[in-house]
Amino acid sequence: MSLVTSLIMRQMRAPIIILIIGYAISILGMALTPGLDDQGNLWYMSFFDAFYFVSYTATTIGFGEIPYPLSNAQRSWALFTIYLTVISWFYSLGKIISLVQDPTFREALKINHFKRQIERVPDTFILICGFGETGHALASALTERNIHTVVIENDAQIIQTLPLEDFKLVIPGIRGDASNPEDLITAGLQHPKCAAVIAATSSDEINLKIAITSKLLNPDICVICRSEIEEYESNMFSFGTDFVINPFDTFANIFAMAMHSPSLHLLYDWLTGVPNTDLTNPVYIKDGHWIICGFGRFGEGLYQQLLNSDIQVTVIDPSEEKREQFLNRPENHGNDFIIGTGFDAHTLTVAGVGHAVGLISGTDNDSNNLSIIMTAREINPDLFIVARHNKMNNEKLFSATHANIVMQPSEIIARKIRSLLVSPLMIAFLNKAKNQDPTWANITISRILGVLGESVPNIWTLHVNHEEARALCKTLRLGRIIRVGNLLQNPRQREQQIEAIPLMLKRNQKLLLMPSDDIALKSNDELLFCGTPGASRSMTWTLNDIHSLNYIMTYEETHDSTIWRKVTQFIKRKERRNRPRQNRHRIK
Amino acid sequence: MNREKVVFSFFMILALTLNFGFYVGEVDNPNHHNVYELFAVVVVNLIATVLKFGDRSQMGAMLLATSLVALVQLFSASIVWTYVVNIQGHEMTPEVMVTIISLSGGALIANFISVILLIIETSMMRH
Repeated sequence: MSLVTSLIMRQMRAPIIILIIGYAISILGMALTPGLDDQGNLWYMSFFDAFYFVSYTATTIGFGEIPYPLSNAQRSWALFTIYLTVISWFYSLGKIISLVQDPTFREALKINHFKRQIERVPDTFILICGFGETGHALASALTERNIHTVVIENDAQIIQTLPLEDFKLVIPGIRGDASNPEDLITAGLQHPKCAAVIAATSSDEINLKIAITSKLLNPDICVICRSEIEEYESNMFSFGTDFVINPFDTFANIFAMAMHSPSLHLLYDWLTGVPNTDLTNPVYIKDGHWIICGFGRFGEGLYQQLLNSDIQVTVIDPSEEKREQFLNRPENHGNDFIIGTGFDAHTLTVAGVGHAVGLISGTDNDSNNLSIIMTAREINPDLFIVARHNKMNNEKLFSATHANIVMQPSEIIARKIRSLLVSPLMIAFLNKAKNQDPTWANITISRILGVLGESVPNIWTLHVNHEEARALCKTLRLGRIIRVGNLLQNPRQREQQIEAIPLMLKRNQKLLLMPSDDIALKSNDELLFCGTPGASRSMTWTLNDIHSLNYIMTYEETHDSTIWRKVTQFIKRKERRNRPRQNRHRIK
Repeated sequence: MNREKVVFSFFMILALTLNFGFYVGEVDNPNHHNVYELFAVVVVNLIATVLKFGDRSQMGAMLLATSLVALVQLFSASIVWTYVVNIQGHEMTPEVMVTIISLSGGALIANFISVILLIIETSMMRH
């Protein structure tokens, strides 16, 4: 028995018993009270008559005095019956209504509903803990790629509005404290369909707790954690958390990428973006003097990257302590540290904003950051500006400043997790791409632009195995050769190409970037593609439908039904017999 | 002493005793079986069943099942009675009485099992 039915039954005991007793007393009394029949004889209602009478009286239907007019004795009992049964009904109805409004009951109903939603998820789901900005961005990107997600969030209001939001898939949400193991289990942590847990709350401590709980209760699943503080990060890794994502480190790395190779950065941006949004433009970071306002986790991370590239930097921060530490380190000797806030023109001028090429406004306060950007732009309109954006609702303001790069922690984390979850090959691809020279990235970019046009491509992987590529595997087993290029042919019109590009081939742990079209496929190969959603669908046809594959490879038509096969064999044999001898080799 | 337990046991045992009271007597003699007693058995059984609602334990499930069996048997008996006497309009005959009593005999066994289960549960709690 489920909790809900059990709760209803338990709550309904008293009202039902009161109804039974009320009815029993009324019926018994009715059967015992003397009356007169139409001939004036003494007459008692049978239990059947009494039950009938009480039933229509108690429900206030009131058919009247059936079968004979009642005697006064019966009428007085009927009076009593009316009050007794009608009051019992009112009491029971009141109880039912109060049960429906009961918070425990509603909670039980919600949990029940949530569990049914989880059961309806067709394959696997990803449990997102915390539905703040990061969780929201993640959920929308994952559902966009048809990955099911489940949300646990402490704020009841967010959970209430969850069904109203416009996601591509239904996202079951439950209110609960993610740091409480019980609540995590209710949210589906131990469910066989749960593939990964993402701890995306804003508190490192809660994320740590979630990671520990998940690893202890379900060691097989992938755990991804958001973390902003280094101690927590190493703690999370210590018990086997699969990925820990620090938005500041991640951004610093992306920034370094943009600095060293704008085209590689662009490639990264395109391949990890939200599909079907517009492609971004490349950013070019100039060499020269840089100013960093705010020397927190963000500023420090970027400072390290600038330092690594031997760029002269001036730091502005109000903390004396940080200045001491900064100046004590020998590698910092070439650079200045100015005490100040950065949003006044004086400090900025002293820091040399007039001749600087770039400015990083990296305080943890959005108003300060905006103010810094405005002031600096006034002094030097050509500045390259990197802005740290803390609160989602300030998005419009930051886009109005036209900062060259805006760093939004939740967006950074969401992007990183997305690329982790969408395809493990994607990470391998990006890592390998980092070691390529800029020309390689330029060629790749122009190829993507040429084939796919204006919007962010979809990413998908193909495992050459029986589940994902039935027809292909069958054909390969026959010893026929199918090349990468064949997969890119349109199964409707084999002369045309589908809008897809193979990014990487993985064979026996070896990775090959941008495999050329003439590479022959082998079974158990893994391929990473980017392309339009339509291309992905077309490719599924080629992979799984033997007729489409035959058409592409210009093989002879095969037939599914035995009779047809026999008929074609017969015809072929006949043709062969009639044909001159020398032509026989050409057949097939 | 737990008042809920007293009420619970009271109704279960009352269901058994009333059922027995209705059941005893010559099986085909309408004079030995009182219609008011049958009414009382039905009502008490209904209450006993409702009291068992919402218990999620294995024992609770068994108790509820036995009560439901008893109810089905007793309802069948009452419907037979009503059908013959009120709908067809015959006098009560020994043949019909036999049917009614055998049905109530089944209910008696169900109620008996119910009480045995109650005793087992109680004695288990003692240990």
